Amino acid sequence: MKKFVIIGNSAAGIAAVEAIREHDRESKITVLSDENYTSYCRCLISYYLSGQITEDKLIYRAPEFYKNKNIELLLAKKVVRIDFKKKIVYLEDKTKVEFDSILIASGASPKMPEIKGIGKRDVSGFRTVEEAKDIITRLPVIKTACVLGGGLIGLKAAYGFHKRKIDVKVIVKSGQVLSQMLDKTAADMIQKRIQDNGIEIVTGQDVVEIIGNGDLRAVKLESGKAIGCETVIVGKGVSPNISFLKDSGISIDAGIVVNEKQLTNIDDCYAAGDVAQGYDITTEKKEVNALWPIAVEQGRIAGLNMAGVDTAYIGSIGMNSIEFFDVPVISIGIIKPKDTSLKEIILKDEAKSSYRKVVLKDDIIVGAILLGNVENAGIYLKLMKERINISGIRDDLLDRMSYAKIMDLIKDKEKIYV
Amino acid sequence: MSEKHIDRSYDTASQKMIKRAIDENIKISWDRYDAMQPQCGFGELGICCRICNMGPCRIDPFGEGPQEGVCGATKDTIAARNLARMIASGAAAHSDHGRDVAHTLILAAKGEAHDYELKGTEKLMQVAKVYGIETEGKMVEKIGEELGEACLAEFGQQHGSLKFISLAPKKRQALWKKLGITPRGIDREIVEMMHRTHMGVDNDYKNIINHGIRTSLGDGWGGSMIATELSDILFGSPEPIRAKVNLGVLKEDEVNIVVHGHEPTLSDVVQEAAKDPQLIALAKKYGAKGINLAGMCCTANEILMRHGIPSAGDFLQQELAILTGSVELMMVDVQCIMPALSSVANCFHTKLITTSPKCKFPGVEHIEFREEKAMEIAKQIIRMGVENYKNRVKERVDIPGEIKDLIAGFTTENTFYNLGGTYRSSFRPLNEAIISGRLRGAAGVVGCCNPNVRHNWAHVSMVKELIKNDVLVVQTGCSAIACAKEGLLSPDSASKFAGKGLLEICEAVGIPPVLHVGSCVDNSRILLILSEIVKEGGLGEDISDLPGAGAAPEWMSEKAISIGFYFVASGVYTIFGTPHPVTGSENLTNYLTNDLENIVGGKFAFEADPIKAAHMMIEHIDKKRAALKLKPVMYTNGVSVGV
Amino acid sequence: MTKKIYYDVNKCLACKSCEFACAIGHSSSKDLLSFIKNKEKTKPAVKVHFASNKNYPIACRSCIDHPCVSACIAAALSFDSKDGRVIYDKDRCVGCWMCVMVCPYGAIRPDQTAKIPIRCDFCEGEDEPRCVKACPTGAIFVEAEEEAKSR
Repeated sequence: MKKFVIIGNSAAGIAAVEAIREHDRESKITVLSDENYTSYCRCLISYYLSGQITEDKLIYRAPEFYKNKNIELLLAKKVVRIDFKKKIVYLEDKTKVEFDSILIASGASPKMPEIKGIGKRDVSGFRTVEEAKDIITRLPVIKTACVLGGGLIGLKAAYGFHKRKIDVKVIVKSGQVLSQMLDKTAADMIQKRIQDNGIEIVTGQDVVEIIGNGDLRAVKLESGKAIGCETVIVGKGVSPNISFLKDSGISIDAGIVVNEKQLTNIDDCYAAGDVAQGYDITTEKKEVNALWPIAVEQGRIAGLNMAGVDTAYIGSIGMNSIEFFDVPVISIGIIKPKDTSLKEIILKDEAKSSYRKVVLKDDIIVGAILLGNVENAGIYLKLMKERINISGIRDDLLDRMSYAKIMDLIKDKEKIYV
Repeated sequence: MSEKHIDRSYDTASQKMIKRAIDENIKISWDRYDAMQPQCGFGELGICCRICNMGPCRIDPFGEGPQEGVCGATKDTIAARNLARMIASGAAAHSDHGRDVAHTLILAAKGEAHDYELKGTEKLMQVAKVYGIETEGKMVEKIGEELGEACLAEFGQQHGSLKFISLAPKKRQALWKKLGITPRGIDREIVEMMHRTHMGVDNDYKNIINHGIRTSLGDGWGGSMIATELSDILFGSPEPIRAKVNLGVLKEDEVNIVVHGHEPTLSDVVQEAAKDPQLIALAKKYGAKGINLAGMCCTANEILMRHGIPSAGDFLQQELAILTGSVELMMVDVQCIMPALSSVANCFHTKLITTSPKCKFPGVEHIEFREEKAMEIAKQIIRMGVENYKNRVKERVDIPGEIKDLIAGFTTENTFYNLGGTYRSSFRPLNEAIISGRLRGAAGVVGCCNPNVRHNWAHVSMVKELIKNDVLVVQTGCSAIACAKEGLLSPDSASKFAGKGLLEICEAVGIPPVLHVGSCVDNSRILLILSEIVKEGGLGEDISDLPGAGAAPEWMSEKAISIGFYFVASGVYTIFGTPHPVTGSENLTNYLTNDLENIVGGKFAFEADPIKAAHMMIEHIDKKRAALKLKPVMYTNGVSVGV
Repeated sequence: MTKKIYYDVNKCLACKSCEFACAIGHSSSKDLLSFIKNKEKTKPAVKVHFASNKNYPIACRSCIDHPCVSACIAAALSFDSKDGRVIYDKDRCVGCWMCVMVCPYGAIRPDQTAKIPIRCDFCEGEDEPRCVKACPTGAIFVEAEEEAKSR
């Protein structure tokens, strides 16, 4: 009998719980969440905003899940401090929870720019179901909206507003949308697609002030131009939720630094998901790859190790997949190489609004963008994960990829074929 | 195949033999059909191309993969080329049959084939006239020879028009001329079809199909018509004759010889040879009561309509006949002979004999038939059958009792002359019956059998529905045999199945409501009947004006495709049960099922439900009646609607 | 015992009967001619790919580590450990293609029209997967995973 504490009730936390329970049905597991909802699909809140799905579809694990797995779920509990020596978690409500082993999967929060008016009531991030609900209740009075930031969250929020027939403008500081995910070419194709469908995108402009006495009136751009709106969503990236770890002795860089077991520098303390900074296969450095599938993988690895099943994570790869107005795009790994030794192979077919790019380091794929046709994307991911030398299939790399093509290259293959 | 497969045939005699095949684990067509499932989707949709060695190519019907072949051929081009080649093959089969008959006619006329004589002199004179052959003061043989040569010449003719085209309604002839689809020579159109569908020639699906139509006309109004007419000259025109049909015609105590295939050249001599006293004596010596000759498929139809020789069954019964264990010998000539026969025959004492140099089976004894020694060879083959009687295993003989009467032998010349009685021999009474609304119209229900449809069920259901609605039905080939087995071709069937108007006609004239007009090559007779109706007057100026329709509800062969095309091209609305292998091309499918009507007056429809199809035909007939401003039909559902 | 679909590459002639059977079987028409007539858009979950002079049919492997389930942001995919299958709930799917992004076999494809992933469901409700039934050469067969491993 051990006492496990999981801070965070989302992808990584749940995956850890499930992994622990696969091997340990007895020990006490306490899950802490500072939100007041059962586990939900965070990535779906834009679909919820757009009206594409109803609230019940947001549920990731229903309350029965916790009951069935014998989990203590403590909602709306904010962690304020952890004493790793005494192995105690201190909560905002002055209560405390003891642990033998702990997973920090506290996630991340939107980065809010330090500009005038940012604290106004109708300015919010777009990460929690609460934020989404708040916007939905205000929809009847919103005619125009501004989204700050052209990242995935910003564009998805904008798409949500657009679906609700709200005039929405996206203000992007850099010269392109989705700058973390796409190169300029792909970004421009997506941007054009979005603009052609009625969402205005302003690039190369930052917002310097949010205007309005009481009610929100407009945002003011660097150029001095003001854009009227009743609500503002900030989607300028996220930062890990680590404030409660101040002076705890845990090693923090861009996030909580972990090893291949998702273990931090502190014994019995693991970290996973958006808060963790672990090894990235393509950059060969430790990175924060804040992404749902990676959080699930890392959470699982952490959970297994916590349960005593020694498991190493091969590392994560930054990636994402999204579709805007019928154009899907998937990006994996290094997509804007700064290192000149990396080579790019590109196939672009404007007529078919299709774009494919592979980034190679020597003969190993370290990045890929697939736009328009995203079939077989997972094969590129596999090739990257397993660092498979692709020199033998270079000619087929962009438009004739299939599992069959890489059959001869795979080392450890499942015997699918006789 | 399990017990439930017995139901795959509508015919109870066939069901019994299917049961036997299951019990004895003998694989027959339905087993092979099931083993073949699912059949190749590309083939079914007509979008695979094996025409050149850059291929094989195929178009992805799901829209994900290639949408054109290596050469760039689209699904329209590919499907059209494939279909066109089917037309060419079907036309070739019928026409080659016609060529053989012409050849035999010449030999007989020149006295080089003593076992044949020119029995149909009246027909000879008629056809000689069509061919512009001077008959005055000439010996019959001389006329026959000249006609035979003239017909043979039409196979290789390069320009002008086939002579029988002149029998089509004037308006139809003019339309073909205008469209440039009047067939110039029988072989020529087939060869050109093959050329056009060679890699990189005709790439316009409409243009390909238009030549396909021309090729098919060279069959219907050429090769097939020559086969029919010259057969009538050689063997005599059929006259209505009573006969029997189904596996029950095989006899437990006689030597059963089955003649299977298509051409009358062999079967007609065989039926004579089977009467040979010496052979009968030999049969008796072996303990048999005699020699029982039965036909199978279309060669059955040939001797059925001319000599009343019973038909043991249709295309899908060829294996079943052997399964009775009672067949001493099956001799085959050409077309629709399943390669599987040899293995089924191996399960019994049955001897299988091939006779045509064009049709051999590995491991099967071949006795080549030559017209010059026809009787001698026929007797030789029958003798083999008689001698094989001793090998019959009595315990293994299981002949289904099913047997039905039918009347066969209706032709263009005699069919509707019957309607008029002796004193008014013309098509007038038929036209009057249609004009008055006693008859709704006429329909041709023809074609093969196919394991992809419940055996005989579609033929029987469709024909019953048509006659119930006062549509007179003419039939050829396996479709006729299918309905004969149901009793629809017997004189008393009118009172059971026909609508009131049709019943009145049948009773007045003494004909069945369903008329057997011959083998599949004799579909040409239907073309002439339609032309005669037009000529008789009062029902429009062209075949496409007539209240008529055609159908091949259980089709399987390429010949059926060619037949379908020459009917459509002659102005007939024609329904095929399962579609042509073209539906992978929406454009081509549309062209065949819609556009063609505006071009040639006839068009195709594809409908697997025979009742639904029958009503589509009825609807079409009613449409034509309305266009002709005819009186409403007299009876609806057997009740007078009054005029 | 988890049963899975395996392929005998030496027997696959790339006739694509499996693709037809799959797409038609999962359509509402259920037969090819009506499928074409009704202009249905169902796509096959099994695809035959060609490489090194051999044909490789491929469909969902129901992998042990099933990355598609981990990647699904909508909890539309789940893993049923009882019979070792990935289960798909269409009602929850939002068409984000995360599953496409992570499938190591390229066996999940996006259906751009229906906005659902095209993936093998092992022909739920059928006694045998349709591709297996359809294969004219026996190149596709079902086998227990353990047996396949010992092969």
